[in-house]
Amino acid sequence: MANITKKVSWSSRGDDSARGEATPLLNGTEEVRYTRQPSGGGIFHIGRLSTVDLEEEITTEEESVRTRPNEIPHNEKLLSLKYESLDYDNTENQLFLEEERRMSQMGFRCLEISRWVICGLIGVLTGLIACFIDIVVEKMAGMKYSIVKQNIEKFTEVGGLSISLILWAVLNSTLVMIGSIIVAFFEPIAAGSGIPQIKCYLNGVKIPRVVRLKTLMVKVCGVICSVAGGLAVGKEGPMIHSGAVVAAGVSQGRSTSLKKDFKIFEYFRRDTEKRDFVSAGAAAGVSAAFGAPVGGVLFSLEEGASFWNQMLTWRIFFASMISTFTLNFFLSIYNNKPGDLSYPGLINFGGFETDSVTYNLYEIPLFIIIGAIGGLLGALFNFLNYWLTIFRIRYVHRPCLQVLEAMLVAAVTATVSFTMIYFSNDCQPLGQDQTTEDYPLQLFCADGEYNSMATAFFNTPERSVRSLFHNPPGSYNPLTLGLFTLTYFFLACWTYGLAVSAGVFIPSLLIGAAWGRLFGILLAYFTSGSSIWADPGKYALIGAAAQLGGIVRMTLSLTVILMEATGNVTFGLPIMLVLMTAKIVGDYFAEGLYDIHIKLQSVPFLHWDAPATSHWLTAREVMSSPVTCFNRVEKVGTIVDVLSNTSTNHNGFPVVVEITASDEPGKICGLILRSQLIVLLKHKVFVERAHSRLSQRKLQLKDFRDAYPRFPPIQSIHVSQDERECMMDLSEFMNATPYTVPQETSLPRVFKLFRALGLRHLLVVDSENRVVGLVTRKDLARYHLGKHGLEELQLAQT
Amino acid sequence: MVWKSVTNTVYECLSALHNCLKMGYLTLVLAFFVLGIVQISTTKGDTSMTGPEVSGEDDFTSKSAAHFFLPVSSASEAHKSGYFFSLSLSSSFPEDLEVSDYCLTLLRIFGERYVTYVNCSVSYARPVKMCEKCYINYSDLKDIFNNISSGTGSGNESCYNSLVRSDRLMLVYMLYSSLKDIWSVASCSNCLMKPNETALSNDTLYFLTLLNVSFSCFETHQQGNHSELCKECKAPYQRLSELYSGMEKNHTLCIDLEDAMNVTRRLWSKKYECSFPLEENVPVIAVSGFMLFLPIIFYLSSFLHSEQKKRKLIHPKRAKSNHNLMNIQDKFS
Repeated sequence: MANITKKVSWSSRGDDSARGEATPLLNGTEEVRYTRQPSGGGIFHIGRLSTVDLEEEITTEEESVRTRPNEIPHNEKLLSLKYESLDYDNTENQLFLEEERRMSQMGFRCLEISRWVICGLIGVLTGLIACFIDIVVEKMAGMKYSIVKQNIEKFTEVGGLSISLILWAVLNSTLVMIGSIIVAFFEPIAAGSGIPQIKCYLNGVKIPRVVRLKTLMVKVCGVICSVAGGLAVGKEGPMIHSGAVVAAGVSQGRSTSLKKDFKIFEYFRRDTEKRDFVSAGAAAGVSAAFGAPVGGVLFSLEEGASFWNQMLTWRIFFASMISTFTLNFFLSIYNNKPGDLSYPGLINFGGFETDSVTYNLYEIPLFIIIGAIGGLLGALFNFLNYWLTIFRIRYVHRPCLQVLEAMLVAAVTATVSFTMIYFSNDCQPLGQDQTTEDYPLQLFCADGEYNSMATAFFNTPERSVRSLFHNPPGSYNPLTLGLFTLTYFFLACWTYGLAVSAGVFIPSLLIGAAWGRLFGILLAYFTSGSSIWADPGKYALIGAAAQLGGIVRMTLSLTVILMEATGNVTFGLPIMLVLMTAKIVGDYFAEGLYDIHIKLQSVPFLHWDAPATSHWLTAREVMSSPVTCFNRVEKVGTIVDVLSNTSTNHNGFPVVVEITASDEPGKICGLILRSQLIVLLKHKVFVERAHSRLSQRKLQLKDFRDAYPRFPPIQSIHVSQDERECMMDLSEFMNATPYTVPQETSLPRVFKLFRALGLRHLLVVDSENRVVGLVTRKDLARYHLGKHGLEELQLAQT
Repeated sequence: MVWKSVTNTVYECLSALHNCLKMGYLTLVLAFFVLGIVQISTTKGDTSMTGPEVSGEDDFTSKSAAHFFLPVSSASEAHKSGYFFSLSLSSSFPEDLEVSDYCLTLLRIFGERYVTYVNCSVSYARPVKMCEKCYINYSDLKDIFNNISSGTGSGNESCYNSLVRSDRLMLVYMLYSSLKDIWSVASCSNCLMKPNETALSNDTLYFLTLLNVSFSCFETHQQGNHSELCKECKAPYQRLSELYSGMEKNHTLCIDLEDAMNVTRRLWSKKYECSFPLEENVPVIAVSGFMLFLPIIFYLSSFLHSEQKKRKLIHPKRAKSNHNLMNIQDKFS
């Protein structure tokens, strides 16, 4: 009975009698800290070059193999070595099984309760962070705009508006400089919206430093600076990242950065649990950003759906609900209406009057046309941003240059906005209700009128979106909207990818709302007489949805998010149709923005399925081979040598029964991870010591957990010459039941197994159960469908 | 509302039944039945049929009694209602029995004041001086409505029930509330003295004085060159503007002042063309041109001088039987 349960294997044929030789090779999993060190040329064996270049002849290929590794400029067809896989699959070694068996039913119940508590905490903290960001941004932007407004008013009469322009540009640049410095110099991973990174994390890729406290700090400060600095950015995307960091921190019950351990939630200190909580945190972030709890849950579902169960969904929903409630509650206190829970998200689309958003059957084709336009514009946006990002990676990689670039963008944004306002002569009478315009600029308009271009440019993007949705028909003339769309499109495209933390949601919504409103106005113009149904606010909403869908290409979650943000369920159908059309049209031309950025960061991202035309590939072609193996009882010296070898930074080592001198590979009996070996070496769990000192404490699972997630590098562990001769018994610590597949397994099958179980290493064995290869995430992620059929990505050090 | 009217109807029918049984007009019932079907009449005044002995408080008890009767009498309801409607049509029923004299007086006063107020506000609709001129009328109207809704007239009687709430339409209330909405949309109360709103506030009066100063200034300099007007009236106009923006912040503006200010501004900037901000395109264009030029320099210089980032390729070891991409392509073709 025990034998059956222990061998979870596709081919548990044969018995334990095998010999083999371990040759150093790259399994493709390497730690980032080794990449800087010069690799020993002697040890560095280069296998057959498998390039994408098809023209190259085999002979030249063989020659180039002999030379040193060639260098190429950064492009999208690379896989970086610095990314590792998460261990979603539990390491079921003896220690783990013993602990699980010791735990009573009560213990499991307590764990379940503490999971709920953690989710509640995640919600509360995420909501608080959102609240903090919102209030500080509002204050700082308010201060900036009132200073600039006063200045403009002063100089409108006496002349010298160019000074106002300079003032505005300098204020913007200063704020953005602060935000950019902390990002570029302290935590580059906090740049951008963070959604691509969280997507990768939920996909099972460990992005270095992505869920650290320092990242959170930089992210929060950075987003405040960049939004207040008037860049064409939003604060919603970073909320998702912040929520994820909060979740990763809270669930561990300690902070490695602050060196503080609360001695709670120790059970959750492993990748499996942490990743579940991170998905809850991302959901809470979405929920706080848009006031969309269901949308948040669906976002997590869409991005991390391969590891999902019903209880987890319910917990995630709880976290999102708590998060939006917390934000609500504290914003109501801030707005002096305690208990009035009507501030659900950072971006509030405001309530649409029911009669302004009714739609008729004959409008649906129009919505679909808008969706197609959104898809086209989105594809254009992504295409431009793709080239810009490549340029940035290749040439603007030094931190000081990045800061300078961000400052320039801020200054140009202010300049363009000012010029647009200055040369616009679209004046609108001030409304009776003064609260609609926060900073009405008169400039050259007659007294009692305001510049309508200024409502779009001289405002935080969120407010501009809202005024585009809700201002009564006639508030904008078509020329203003057209110019605004054009300039903001390029500004937003230029801004995304700078070394500042900022999201792309709001700029997309703003661009879409502007041209959507334009569409609505023109529609009313051409169908004069029946202009009742062409409410520009409604078309602004549809346009916003189309543009956002065209850029980010999210489907289900985006529909629900927009539906929840507008608070209007009847609009579900148009929004869905628009997003579908935008995605179909957009996918024809370019990928989604987040996918582009994931590719450009060379992340080994596993999509839902293996590439469509990969059925003829088998595990034999996919795997890395031969594999570095250890004996069940291995000499310490060998282990240390293998671990220290900078060119072979494997993370998983098959444990075989016995390695003999011949070429025959050994028979598999387990799998051990680098992190486990390091902990073992650190505690000096040697066979000789156990014999000599019986009183020595037995190594427990807790020792592994304490070292998680930052295991020390092998260099920091000192092993004396005597100790090198000792032996280490791995049988207690290795995963005795690793997943294996036979060599003939097809790639899609391997892929499915890998993706569905969240594996990190998959062993390939022959009919005698001898290890012939190892499949890791990078071996699978390197296949992708390109323009010329199936293509293979290259591994590179970044 | 629906429930109320249903109860009312049931109650009316029952009381009618009660009466006719008592009076023995059974034959009359049959006679009027045919008539009753074609008649549709308002239900107003039905309570008079219960007879003079029913006072306000008894009214309530008999109403609840009617509820108890409901299942028993429902069968013959059609007949009874027919009788009742025809009756109410044929005879003008004694209204004094239903609504007390006191309440009717209140209603009459309400009507008079309503007319006065509406007249006033219509005559000051353009230019808007509704708040300023009609606030007395409005407060009168408010008083009388408050009297109706709260006051108990002679003999503990609530006029609110009899005048306002006894029918589906609630005409008195609707009339009043529409005016109230207009008043609040105009935010007239901002211009009135705070607690009881019986006089214009000091701010408003001050604003009106300044406004008059400006207007008189405009008038005196209207002839001839407008530049003189612009010079002379600039001071009062600016004082007015400052006061206005101050009041805007304090939320002490009503429609009158907003409209007056709009008119003044329009006169000032459109008719007399006094606001001519200095347009200096050259420096603005120069500065923005310079700003827009900076990124081009930046990108060019970083393209030319910055070292391009190269990636070191790593070649993983594969099994001997590894197919390279040539094979992949072969298999495809």
